[in-house]
Amino acid sequence: MNIRKAGFAPRIVMLLFMAYLLLPLLATGLYALARDWQDSLLPTAWTFSWFSELLGDLRFLSALWTSLYLCLISVALSLVVMLPAVFAITVYFPHWEHFMKGLVVLPYAVPGVVAAVGLIRTYSSGPLDIAGTAYLLVGAYFVVILPYMYQGIRNSLLTVSAVELLQAAELLGARRRTAFLTVILPNIWPGIIVSSLLSFSVLFGEFVLTNMLVGGHIKTIQVYLYQRVGESGHLASAIAISYFVFILMLSMVLMKLGRRMGGEVSK
Amino acid sequence: MKPRNRGVILALLPFLLMVLAFQLVPAVSMLAGSFRQEDGTGFTLGNYLHALQSAYYMQAIKNSLLISITSSLIGIAAGLLCAYCITRFTSRVRDRLLMLTNMTSNFAGVPLAFAYIILLGNNGVFTLLFKQWGWDIFGDFNLYSWSGLVLVYIYFQAPLALLLLYPSFYGIREQWREAAALLGAGRWQFWKTIGLPILAPAIFGTLGILFANAMGAYATAYALVGGNYNLLAVRIGALVAGDVVTQPQMGSTLAVLLALTTLLAVYLNQRMARHAESFGFGPAAKTGSNGKVSLRLRPAVRKELGQ
Amino acid sequence: MNDYLQLQGVRKMFGETRVLDHVDLSIREGELVTLLGPSGCGKSTLLRCIAGLAELDGGRILLENKDLAKQPPRSRQVGMVFQSYALFPNLTVSENVEYGMKMRGIARPARRSRCEELLALVDLEEKHDVYPQSLSGGQQQRVALARSLAVQPKVLLLDEPLSALDAKIRKNLRAEIREIQKRLRMTTLFVTHDQEEALILSDRICIMNQGRIVQDGSPEALYTAPRTEFVARFMGSYNVLTRAEALLLFRNVDSTADRFAIRPEAITLLREGEGRTEAVEGCILAGGSVHSVSVLGNIIRLTVDTAGIRLTVDQLNDGRWLRIQEKDNVTLALDPSQLLHLEREGA
Repeated sequence: MNIRKAGFAPRIVMLLFMAYLLLPLLATGLYALARDWQDSLLPTAWTFSWFSELLGDLRFLSALWTSLYLCLISVALSLVVMLPAVFAITVYFPHWEHFMKGLVVLPYAVPGVVAAVGLIRTYSSGPLDIAGTAYLLVGAYFVVILPYMYQGIRNSLLTVSAVELLQAAELLGARRRTAFLTVILPNIWPGIIVSSLLSFSVLFGEFVLTNMLVGGHIKTIQVYLYQRVGESGHLASAIAISYFVFILMLSMVLMKLGRRMGGEVSK
Repeated sequence: MKPRNRGVILALLPFLLMVLAFQLVPAVSMLAGSFRQEDGTGFTLGNYLHALQSAYYMQAIKNSLLISITSSLIGIAAGLLCAYCITRFTSRVRDRLLMLTNMTSNFAGVPLAFAYIILLGNNGVFTLLFKQWGWDIFGDFNLYSWSGLVLVYIYFQAPLALLLLYPSFYGIREQWREAAALLGAGRWQFWKTIGLPILAPAIFGTLGILFANAMGAYATAYALVGGNYNLLAVRIGALVAGDVVTQPQMGSTLAVLLALTTLLAVYLNQRMARHAESFGFGPAAKTGSNGKVSLRLRPAVRKELGQ
Repeated sequence: MNDYLQLQGVRKMFGETRVLDHVDLSIREGELVTLLGPSGCGKSTLLRCIAGLAELDGGRILLENKDLAKQPPRSRQVGMVFQSYALFPNLTVSENVEYGMKMRGIARPARRSRCEELLALVDLEEKHDVYPQSLSGGQQQRVALARSLAVQPKVLLLDEPLSALDAKIRKNLRAEIREIQKRLRMTTLFVTHDQEEALILSDRICIMNQGRIVQDGSPEALYTAPRTEFVARFMGSYNVLTRAEALLLFRNVDSTADRFAIRPEAITLLREGEGRTEAVEGCILAGGSVHSVSVLGNIIRLTVDTAGIRLTVDQLNDGRWLRIQEKDNVTLALDPSQLLHLEREGA
């Protein structure tokens, strides 16, 4: 019965808050479109040249490409590894979930810098010397998105009551693997797409691990942005805004998908 | 062994290997490293002693703690106020506001630091404007110092606090307010005796998350101040992957210390979430320590983490 | 004038919908009045208006001849029990009970002893230091009752307090509520949609429909003499007949009403071929065939088709009707004096 209108004070508070949140974004956007912006409230001349310069910059395009394929590979690897594992745990070893919860909290609780320290120590010498390579980064990314993937897959399995579905399929004569492929997978697919996209957007914004583990060798979009900040403010703004718009579109898609699924589940 | 069990183990094996290789072994290696001598052999507590005695490292720890506590407290105050306000709007407006908040929370790390440089840096738009207009309230303000860092940290802390706290406000049932009103409690008395105590676990839990978030924040600080301001996370980065000389053992030691504080904070959050559940509402939302909260609006994702 | 609580022309709108439409009601001190009606009839809104949780759009509410309009809920001296208990989860049982007294600045020892008293009254002495979440629904509702009685309200409002409980607990608690109410002579307004509950508990029942009180009176009066079709259908499984049907069954009716009702237990059943001597004097006999039979414990409920009309008939389950089956032919004895003439809705 929440049909009352917001009072004066809440309106002012939220207005200020939104202004505070949007101001930096807006400024970056204006800066990216400004030919020249100094000592005036708004830029005096506008241009798209920063964006066109950006699109003509091979380093930008290659950084974008690097980011895209690294994130895609990591999410795909995570899917291949996590799907059967989470399925097996949920269905056959539910008592392991306690341990899994602990495991999954760790990437949240341990900051990226700390994770990087351990990874660098482990892989910069010894039998597996993969320091500075994409292998190490993909491995690190796997851990970063572990919580999102685990929760996403697990929640999907629980919402479709995977155990009951599987039992029903088996009673009808389906073999276990067939049952998984024909009954469970199609049902949890939408949920898995959402957590994959979420994981993708998380990785796309990753800077700490990337910079510390492979910063000198592999340039993702974040590393590229960092390196160009010092050069030209306008160009860097254009990068930041393009990046932001991309992430924004991704999260819009995510939200739409999430809402559609939420609706289906609740109906 | 039955073929069925073999299949199950086959399903789990790659997962266990990945976790072992990229999560557990590095953690153990880091822990071990923190007890190694400078040449990487033997066993010593020297690194910890050194870290706690060195004025330089202690300053980094102190700076990090101070900035985390300050930004968390301001963030939670702002988040609490906004979360309360947001419950006063109709659900349509509320969803819009939350979407905007969620959207800006994607704006973190390097791009965020950069936006602040444009606005308030040495040649920032506002800096120049204020200079031109002759305002010197910001005369002492320096983006690349403590005050600047706090300002930027609050930018990602406050929305996070709002997104984590507002569901708890909906846990306060309208009928509790009505019952309290009928029993003679005024508005303020209701919040003092019922509202805030019920929110308390969520507030402390969120505080834990905010603290961990700020302690571990690296990208923003690194992009904003680089090596110019002594913060624990940035110091660790320099020790381990710096351009000059690396000191992996010392880096490990500081990393262990940092991890201890964030683990403690997240543990607090988990405890509080369990406590909040005893009041009959779902787990307080939790989130990662990298400031990413996209999609945490969806209840399904809000259940994230270890419940 | 000994009307303790008076409602005069109470009106309430939600947007364009009229939720309460000129409600007049007066309640004597110590009386238990039930507001009975289907969901959405405005009965809970009426309660909330009295408590001050909803504002009036017209009319007055007087308690001991004082207008409550200007007073906030906390100074109305009205206690309320909610369907969902609304116990404060961060306070123990005794802290919940003492809450109102604390807000009114009553000293701790006095609070303590009053709380003990009330917990004894609702039979929960051992549960002081327990948190409400660990109590059963029935226990929680008793705490809520004790909590609202603690501040000695002048009027107690109960908003479907038993609806969330299961059948057995509901029966026990309803007896308990009635007993406590009588003992304390607490003026009580009880909202429910369950007519059985209303019949058992109340001194007086007000039936509400679409924001109006359509009939009020003692439980017996309402049950035996519903004035409208709505009340007849709501109070029991009355057979409601159109004028044409009534004419068909009773041959002539001496009124201009166009709706009639007859209670299922007012129709007597005779087996086909049985001597008609059992027929009551003055009854009209009609042949029919059994459509369905269901045994409701001590009553057997049948539906019988006669002259194209399906009537519900209740017979005492005294063993005589155990072997009756569907499609059996029977004779109905209808007593014209039991036929109720209903008023038009809203008249």
